[in-house]
Amino acid sequence: MRLRAHPVAGVLALAAVGFLWIPILAVAVNSVNQNSLMISWGGATAHWYARALHDPNVRTGLTTTIEIALGSTAVSLVIAVSGALWWRGASARARAVYDATVYARIILPEVVFATALFFLFLKTHFPLGIAAIIIGHSVWNSAYAAVIIQARLVSLDPAMEEAAADLGATPWRAFRRVTFAALLPGIIAGGLLTFTFSFDDVVTSYFLGGSAASPLPLVLFGMIRFRITPEINAIGVMVMLFTVTLMGVAVAAFALMGSAGRGRRGALAEFYGQ
Amino acid sequence: MQAATALRGRKADSGQAAGTGRRLGHLLVIPTAAWTLAFFVIPLVLITVFSFGTENLVTFNVNFGWTVSNYASFGSDLYLTTLLRSLALSLGTTTACALLGFPLAFFISRQRPRTQRVLLACVIVPFWTSFLVRTYSWVNLLQTDGPADRLAFGITGHHLQILYSPASIAIGMTYSYLPLMVLPIYVALERISPDLYAAAADLGARPWRQFRRVVFPLALPGLIAGIIIVGVPAMGEYVIPEILGGGKTLMIGNIIVGQYLDVGDYPFGSALAVSLMVILMAMLFALRRVQPVVEAR
Amino acid sequence: MNGQSSVRLIGVEKRFGDLTAVRSIDLDIAAGEFFSVIGPSGCGKTTTLRMIAGFERPTQGTIEIGGREVSGLPPYRRPVNTVFQSYALFPHLDVFENVAFGLREARVPRAELRRRVAGAISLAQLEGREQAKPNQLSGGQQQRVALARALVNRPEVLLLDEPLGSLDLKLRKEMQAQLKDMQREVGITFVYVTHDQEEAFSMSDRVAVMNHGQLEQVGRPEEVYRQPRTPFVASFVGLANRLTGRIAGPAPGERYEVDLGHLGRRLAHGPPGLAAGAPVLAVVRPEDLHLTPAADLQPGQAAATVVDVAFLGAHRTVRLDAGALGQLVAIGQGQSTVAPDDKVAVSWADDDAWVVPAAGEQ
Repeated sequence: MRLRAHPVAGVLALAAVGFLWIPILAVAVNSVNQNSLMISWGGATAHWYARALHDPNVRTGLTTTIEIALGSTAVSLVIAVSGALWWRGASARARAVYDATVYARIILPEVVFATALFFLFLKTHFPLGIAAIIIGHSVWNSAYAAVIIQARLVSLDPAMEEAAADLGATPWRAFRRVTFAALLPGIIAGGLLTFTFSFDDVVTSYFLGGSAASPLPLVLFGMIRFRITPEINAIGVMVMLFTVTLMGVAVAAFALMGSAGRGRRGALAEFYGQ
Repeated sequence: MQAATALRGRKADSGQAAGTGRRLGHLLVIPTAAWTLAFFVIPLVLITVFSFGTENLVTFNVNFGWTVSNYASFGSDLYLTTLLRSLALSLGTTTACALLGFPLAFFISRQRPRTQRVLLACVIVPFWTSFLVRTYSWVNLLQTDGPADRLAFGITGHHLQILYSPASIAIGMTYSYLPLMVLPIYVALERISPDLYAAAADLGARPWRQFRRVVFPLALPGLIAGIIIVGVPAMGEYVIPEILGGGKTLMIGNIIVGQYLDVGDYPFGSALAVSLMVILMAMLFALRRVQPVVEAR
Repeated sequence: MNGQSSVRLIGVEKRFGDLTAVRSIDLDIAAGEFFSVIGPSGCGKTTTLRMIAGFERPTQGTIEIGGREVSGLPPYRRPVNTVFQSYALFPHLDVFENVAFGLREARVPRAELRRRVAGAISLAQLEGREQAKPNQLSGGQQQRVALARALVNRPEVLLLDEPLGSLDLKLRKEMQAQLKDMQREVGITFVYVTHDQEEAFSMSDRVAVMNHGQLEQVGRPEEVYRQPRTPFVASFVGLANRLTGRIAGPAPGERYEVDLGHLGRRLAHGPPGLAAGAPVLAVVRPEDLHLTPAADLQPGQAAATVVDVAFLGAHRTVRLDAGALGQLVAIGQGQSTVAPDDKVAVSWADDDAWVVPAAGEQ
């Protein structure tokens, strides 16, 4: 017998879900609102989308953001995968230190990282810009990727590599054909997650972009602070569709490639490292 | 036959390979160690050191005076108020997320697997959309003559003057952090074997008692994980108070950014950042001690 | 046992959508009885147990406990307690609190609660471990905590769902003996579900055999073994040699004359009411087969070749190929003079054959 959820829990639950979606729907609706003040409905138009797509700031912002996101993802994955593989053979004390730094990088507010790195670059005369932002993102992005990849690694049956050795595979081939292949969904999921985080980042980019680099979120941020128009909504909707698609691919990769039989609970538990 | 001989050959040299493998294995930590050291540890040490210096705001030269004057400024009204406000907002947000998030997680965990997947998607998908845009959406929703205001006016006859106040920041933060609270609680609930519910019922516990005596204690680690994941980062929020506080209501994150990028007083900004970090470390330490370690098998 | 009914199932049926897990069964379990329900996986025995416990509602039929109808009552209102296959111990509570759980729900006063918990813990031989958490205990110890936790509430009926499944053989045999002794001492009705026929036989007063949701036979272990009602029961409760034949006619002493094909006609016992011409299986248990050298083959004996001889310690199992009669199994004690590829003559006494209707063969 399943303990049925109390009706009160049900009502609160549905209210919470509504709460989560209303702002998104509001953004979408207003992105086609002719009324530029968005106080009331002024009729539908695709005008704002056209403006957004032709806005030069938006276009450079987009290319900058994509560069940064790709760079940060690549660096983060290298760090996360190597770290996770090392973790397997590490001593308990070393593991504790590693886990603590991963945890710290996830929990501490971005503001702290950003100011510290800004200061470092200032004193070492490292130029602010795309490279600096990539470095900055990678510090915490690698931690998120590490959590996902490590959870995936831990859930793999250690007997698999032994089975491969038994069947004639050298350690390298066993790793490549068995472990790495099984790890791939985690790498893909981790990579896509870090990509979306980079894509959306404000604080680190703000500090480390200098005058040279203005990724899309900063363009948006500037627009939000100084003039509010539905063009922002249009950009927002397009960005949202893009990131949701990416994450959808990540989930599909996880489901199709590796987590057979484990389902959503398995994936989530892995994300939370439980 | 060929495979068998090949096998014997491979197995013979696997012992040697294992030793080299282990040595090479240790090299794997280099990327993480180097990156963490260079771009995480050292910068933090740097700003800690600099927080004890002073800066001439005209010449922008920094003196290493080993003074605590930066920290002493905390006594002043502005910074103390902001610090307390940040603590209050973090606490409020965490509480709101817990009150909304626990029933939601519980509700989801009681549904059939397919419904669970749909509901979880409903909770997680907003999280994948632009955080900036979602926060900004609240400006529109909460502004005067906006939907929330019109609803309040219609019901109470008063205008909802909420935008740019601490309340609007709290709403924005609760909104952004809610999925982070729901997920660990859900995971903890899902790990509770259905047999435990059956056993509790079998031993005479009605549904509410089942919840109180079995379900909630076993979900508690998840709740505490959620409190940590929400409460700690919330203290250092910058974007949400910037957008929903409108420059009128500040949190400590805004002040830090202001000191660094607008005023240019790096030692003072560092002192603020370091203090924030210390406070958060303390919070973290306290919360981790409370977290019971339970195997929900 | 005072003959009073402790648990009654009347026309109980359970459907899950299209699947019928339990088909209209009637059971009458006497008070103080050790009653087992056995059958293969998926036969419906666990579902039946869960319906008695209250975790499932019968789609049809009624359930009575101690004479009172309980069909609509939730588990926390029934005078039964369950020992789960997975033990279901509360991981966040120690042994004492686990055992005390039901008593706390019933608001038993503190002094009495302590007394009863102490008694249950001592009955389960767990003194000194009251403060331990479940994950610090061995499998056998966890099992005893589950038992104590259920018994301390003094239920009218104790339900046990394959509680010994995850223990190793030796421990299992020990626990079986302990359970039987405990039931005698406490005097409560035990309803025990298992797929291990030997386990059920060693402890039970009566046994019910289920298959595909249906009750095939209910009776004392010896009855079920010596006089199976269906081919399934014959094969499930032990090794069986099954010889195809037809009823030729009745014979004196409540027996039948059975036509066994080229083996000729033999006498056999059987249930009343079998008509001439009815197809049957003559069941002879392996321990009742006699092997003699093939050279001495008499009429009515089967010729067979030894396929394999396995030495099991207490006895020997001999597998035979009897040509048209199929594979046979013989069990013998002491010295065995046969070896693989030997030709032997197989025989049995008339009294050791029992016929089972072949219609309804799986």
